[in-house]
Amino acid sequence: MTWRTIAKKDARAVLDSRTFRWFLAIVAIAFVFGGYMLPLSVEAPTTSDLPSSMTDAVTLLLPLLGIMLGYKAIVGERTSGRLNLLLSLPHSRRDVVVGKLVGRGGLLAAAVSVGIVLGALLVYYPFGTLEPLVLASYLLVTVCFGLAFVGIALAISTLTTSEHLATAGAFGTFFVLVVVWPQLQPLFSVALERVGLASGGLPEWALFVHGATPGLLYERVVEGFYGGASDGPYLGPDAAWYLGEWVALALLIAWAIVPITLGYLRFQSTDL
Amino acid sequence: MAAIEAREVSKRYGTLTALDRVDLTVEEGEIFGFLGPNGAGKSTMINVFLDFVRPNTGQVEVFGHDCQRESVAARECMGVLPEGYDVYDRLTGRQHVLFAMESKNAGGEPMEILERVGIEDAADRKAGGYSKGMAQRLVLGMALVGEPDLLILDEPTTGLDPRGARAMREIIREENERGTTIFFSSHILEQVEAVCDRVGILHDGELAAIDTIDGLRQSVGGGTKLLITVDEIERVEVGRIEAIAGVESAWIESEPSQIVVTCSNDAKMDVLVGLDDVGVDVLNFETEEPSLEDLFVEYTGGGE
Repeated sequence: MTWRTIAKKDARAVLDSRTFRWFLAIVAIAFVFGGYMLPLSVEAPTTSDLPSSMTDAVTLLLPLLGIMLGYKAIVGERTSGRLNLLLSLPHSRRDVVVGKLVGRGGLLAAAVSVGIVLGALLVYYPFGTLEPLVLASYLLVTVCFGLAFVGIALAISTLTTSEHLATAGAFGTFFVLVVVWPQLQPLFSVALERVGLASGGLPEWALFVHGATPGLLYERVVEGFYGGASDGPYLGPDAAWYLGEWVALALLIAWAIVPITLGYLRFQSTDL
Repeated sequence: MAAIEAREVSKRYGTLTALDRVDLTVEEGEIFGFLGPNGAGKSTMINVFLDFVRPNTGQVEVFGHDCQRESVAARECMGVLPEGYDVYDRLTGRQHVLFAMESKNAGGEPMEILERVGIEDAADRKAGGYSKGMAQRLVLGMALVGEPDLLILDEPTTGLDPRGARAMREIIREENERGTTIFFSSHILEQVEAVCDRVGILHDGELAAIDTIDGLRQSVGGGTKLLITVDEIERVEVGRIEAIAGVESAWIESEPSQIVVTCSNDAKMDVLVGLDDVGVDVLNFETEEPSLEDLFVEYTGGGE
């Protein structure tokens, strides 16, 4: 089990890149900025107001950072031959994948943590309220959301031996999951009505499917747990149980685990 | 226990057969040269040792560890200079060696390794700025970390200048004296001839020959070539030389003017005595052993 060694070296190499330092800083600063702005619009804010106010920024920035950190991590080493050097040492392929995930995911987690803690302090001081447990759980959920994208990008990176394909795949995935998919709900409505599966809004199973991207799940988790939302098609009192925030949380965790696991299994079984 | 024990290793890529039922045993403490033209499958074989490539059939064990099922344990015995590697641009030479030490869970002083491979002056420079030869030395240094029982060197002299190649040979000998088994692939014959105890010749994915260098020489005709300069070459009758027992063939070359005789090692004196008997003065003679290159050409079909 030498993934620690790989994680450490990998994190050091990422931090040596100015682009990545900027990216990590921007994510942290976004939370600080959010924490600074919140008391200007809300009287007597509490730290549980922070998550909802940050959702738009988080669902754009973290996927981008996660994809950036992950998509070249393995294919880049493979095409350059650094993977040959790495695996000529006694590391297993699992050590490589876990090391990369921990090293790069760790940097993302660090940036998110610094940002949230500093942002929360700005909410708390001078007129706000601090709720440490809420804050801690919010931090974990947000890190999990970011890790899902690091994992997705790493999985793409393990699948191909072409950097071009990995780039196209990673940013294509970002574009579809983050930019396009959330806008498609009206289109689905129309399509399902045409084929007679829906009338006036989506049926619950279709809502479930449409709401299953990491971004929409994360929004639901934040709204359900921190925003106190109890209406709308997903979180309202009449909604099906599987549209609620707990199932959303479970699915979000699955996004962080499943793609990278599949990527690892494929990587494990191929020739380099 | 053998250092490397390969049985029936085959690897196909589509219709291309990279390795065809290769059996190979390398004993502990040997310097084994793995010879073959580019594209013969040498790197594929080494990549099977390292579990970069999974064979279609057969298996390889390194010091008793299956290279596929116990890949990490197998690689823990090895120091490797792989083919087609790249170094980490952003890490210094010293950090590379430290990384190898951490990876192999080995102690030691990075500077000692860097001095051994002769790049101590560049220890704190980022490896992205290293020349090909320096990178090659650095990776050799990483291979030496942790005193491996088996050194696997894939075309180790590529990118090295003659001085670097000599230093490489010295390190190979030093390591071998320490008891390390060395497996060394090359398409450059002199490199192999200079250091190896035994060689295997791989051609089109098949092991065409495996023997000591002397053994290989003997198996190819066992022939010695005699180049004889005489005073009056007109008086020599080729037919009479060819009649001597042990002579394969004889002919006269004009430029330079000399007699060429191929014969067994024992017949050399008989040829010279025979010339003397017919009253021809032998001014000078040389013998030519078949070079490894000749053997190589013989086994690999003349580099078609």
